[in-house]
Amino acid sequence: MNWDLLATYTPMYADALWVVVQLGFWGVFGSLILGALVALVRHWKVPVVDRIAGGYIEVARNTPSMVQLYFLYFGLPLIGVKASGFACAIAGLTFLGGAYMAEAIRSGLEAVREGQYRAAASLGLSQTQTMRLVVLPQALAVALPAITANVIFLIKETSIVSIIAVVDLMALTQNLIGMFYTSNEAYLMLVISYLVLLLPVSIGLRALERRFRRGIA
Amino acid sequence: MKIITKIIGSLLSLSIAAGCTAEPASQESAAPDSLQAIREEGTITIGVFRDLPPYGSQDSSGNFVGYDVYFAEQIGKDLGVKVEYVGLDAQGRVPALTGGKVDLVLANFTVTEERKAQVDFADPYMKVYIGVVSPDSAPITDISQLAGKSLIVAQGTTQQTYFTTEHPEITLDVYTTETDAFAALKDGRAPALSQDTTNVLAWALQNPGFSVGIEKLGEPAFIAPAVRKGNTSLLNWLNEEIAALPSDFFHNNYAETLEPVYGSAANPDDIVVENGNPET
Repeated sequence: MNWDLLATYTPMYADALWVVVQLGFWGVFGSLILGALVALVRHWKVPVVDRIAGGYIEVARNTPSMVQLYFLYFGLPLIGVKASGFACAIAGLTFLGGAYMAEAIRSGLEAVREGQYRAAASLGLSQTQTMRLVVLPQALAVALPAITANVIFLIKETSIVSIIAVVDLMALTQNLIGMFYTSNEAYLMLVISYLVLLLPVSIGLRALERRFRRGIA
Repeated sequence: MKIITKIIGSLLSLSIAAGCTAEPASQESAAPDSLQAIREEGTITIGVFRDLPPYGSQDSSGNFVGYDVYFAEQIGKDLGVKVEYVGLDAQGRVPALTGGKVDLVLANFTVTEERKAQVDFADPYMKVYIGVVSPDSAPITDISQLAGKSLIVAQGTTQQTYFTTEHPEITLDVYTTETDAFAALKDGRAPALSQDTTNVLAWALQNPGFSVGIEKLGEPAFIAPAVRKGNTSLLNWLNEEIAALPSDFFHNNYAETLEPVYGSAANPDDIVVENGNPET
């Protein structure tokens, strides 16, 4: 282990970590919005759109994320749609994550029993009030563990973006090993970088889950 | 924090343990990639490029073909053993040897100082320069044109190391395979791509609209067979083999595998190295 090398590598890993943070943030953000829309469409069984949403979920969950990225980056230019590697990475994460988030949110919505709606109606709550005050808080509490698992999953899934020339932590590690064969140092920095990112995220999300459950109970 | 130090600690001890188990394997007689073991087993496992025609690639029926494969076949014949091929990417070549996945790498493998610290190279059988290919509509003929722009390279190639250390003013777009790197150039994702001159020449000939604007960058580099570090029996045999081959062996190889691709675009004497003598 060459400790001087670790010092040299640290700023490079900090840059790559920042790339992962941005990819993770926008990927999770996009997935939550797309997921919520798809979940509502499916929950309310909106005609036609419901079918399309169902098809999307199957495609997104049953194709490898690497294939999805290849399609976005190398496939779409064939029909004249060319986006940067970074944009494709976020689009890919949103496409993949949206399906998982949709299923998580839908499971939450479906866990709210019919009686809750009737009780809300008998109290004279409007439809939006019912959703906001009664259904969503309970649905979120049920869905939250699945959502947080998806957040961690999506952040880890950013590690394949090297195939479209985005320099994340994994790509940087492969580059350094490919050029200088400093595997021990590069892998150690890789593990540390992911832990630095994921441990706080994971601890924060768990605290959020606990809080939500207590708020409901 | 305790968890982190624990995990790192266990990782470190793992890598140390791996280092220890690797030790007995380097004892010549026991090593599965020694000359003796290869002869006893009747098979030599050779790593070649899986997607770098005309050096190493698979034809439509899945057979490996190319300049490196032509040499590999001769090695199998002269050793009197069967050749088993493993298709490799650029960045997979060193790990394939250090991990014991192959006995020998014949994959357009340029000799560099960094690589010499990892594997042992035999005498060279080819020489190469760094070349840059770009679209005819916006040709790159001098490296200064790329300052502040990006250049496509494949991961684990000599070009990646060269431009990272010698030309930090150029942003590198690094792709994991040769196929993806060339696809990105075709999609116009960067102004140019760098690979060995021979490779970009071969590619430009098959892709009208692109040409090699820079043919010789830096000093020539040599391409040689590589074995696991310390595998002296196989290394010595290879050097004897290269010295003993007819002095037109690689010219014949060129005529069969490279000539059909390069035609008049390249001169075999600029590329071929006979009998391990760099001056040939």
